[in-house]
Amino acid sequence: MTPAQVADRLAQAIRSALEHAGGRSAEIASGVDDGRDWCSAVVDVPSPAWRPAARLARDDPDLDLSYFDWLSGVDEQDGGFGVVAHLWSVRHRHGALLRTTVPRDEPRLASLVPVFAGAAWHERETFEMFGVIFDGHPRLEPLLLPDGFTGHPLRKDFVLASRVAKEWPGAKEPGESHTGATRRRMRPPGVPEDWPRDA
Amino acid sequence: MDLTPVDRVSGRDLGGGGGLLDRTLPDPIKFVLNWGRRYSLWVFNFGLACCAIEFIATSMSRHDFIRLGVIPFAHGPRQADLMVVSGTVTDKMAPAVRRLYEQMPEPKYVISFGACSNCGGPYWDSYCVTKGVDQLIPVDVYVPGCPPRPEALLQGILRLQDKIAGEPVSLRGGARGRAGQAAALTAALVRPPATGEGRP
Repeated sequence: MTPAQVADRLAQAIRSALEHAGGRSAEIASGVDDGRDWCSAVVDVPSPAWRPAARLARDDPDLDLSYFDWLSGVDEQDGGFGVVAHLWSVRHRHGALLRTTVPRDEPRLASLVPVFAGAAWHERETFEMFGVIFDGHPRLEPLLLPDGFTGHPLRKDFVLASRVAKEWPGAKEPGESHTGATRRRMRPPGVPEDWPRDA
Repeated sequence: MDLTPVDRVSGRDLGGGGGLLDRTLPDPIKFVLNWGRRYSLWVFNFGLACCAIEFIATSMSRHDFIRLGVIPFAHGPRQADLMVVSGTVTDKMAPAVRRLYEQMPEPKYVISFGACSNCGGPYWDSYCVTKGVDQLIPVDVYVPGCPPRPEALLQGILRLQDKIAGEPVSLRGGARGRAGQAAALTAALVRPPATGEGRP
């Protein structure tokens, strides 16, 4: 199957399952990403359909997306958080990106661990990096960050405080180290306006 | 590189004076003692990132730092004289770096190899990277580069050997009086994560 066919097939399977359960199906969008010859099938599902969609993708004999590759998050700022999972079929050698969006003020999503046990660490990482809470995860706690770390460092509003504490140690312009001339000091990108310049 | 002022004539570190032994031993004896120290550096590679590959290349036959008296590899930090921190030190790794440094016997030396362990390097603004290993342990020689070539490490080793040659002599070796660290050596191990239930 081509990526477009995979996307159509997966979206169709999810749609019919949702209609069977009495849910809305209009929110399911399918297509391919802009990777041209190497494009991938993409299916966007509403967040309540996240776990059923993954189970359908795994169990459908024609799709056979039984290999869980990875899961991560995207900070869409006002659009909430995107959660993306990449599934692959070892037998058919095709894959699909399963995407959903959770609201920023309450980022909760059903865990995929009952469907793919390998999603556990990916969800723990997404939890600590983006603050997305995966309901039904057996052990949702930080995986990589040091003990006592506060904040979600891959959120766009996470300020990299070291930029304020320590300037970029290298030269900013060619020849700067020879002439001794330095550029006007600027507020580092991502640091709020009201932060002191030399913390 | 290292800029510690050394008086070449007397061979003494201008930064600090020597102990009783340093004042009473004749100069040839002191020379021989430091000569032995500088050419038998059992090295302990704290390889954390791509710089470790350059370090390993330096230990292999083409660059071959054993001809400078650097002996690869000590079986562990307790047998080592020199630690080369090569790679990105993260905040989560920092306690382990500190702990293994404390386990090394005196006299001990540290070479910080590469931009990351010197100052954080390209990750200077990261949320998880330590901004230089010298925030954790004293560093004798900094080798710049990203990653530095093996020749740069060879030069760093030569600079370290120059520094050792100028050290005041004592029975315990190193010039740093670092007492009261026994507690760090016997500190409890880091508790591993719970296993069994709840682990998928």
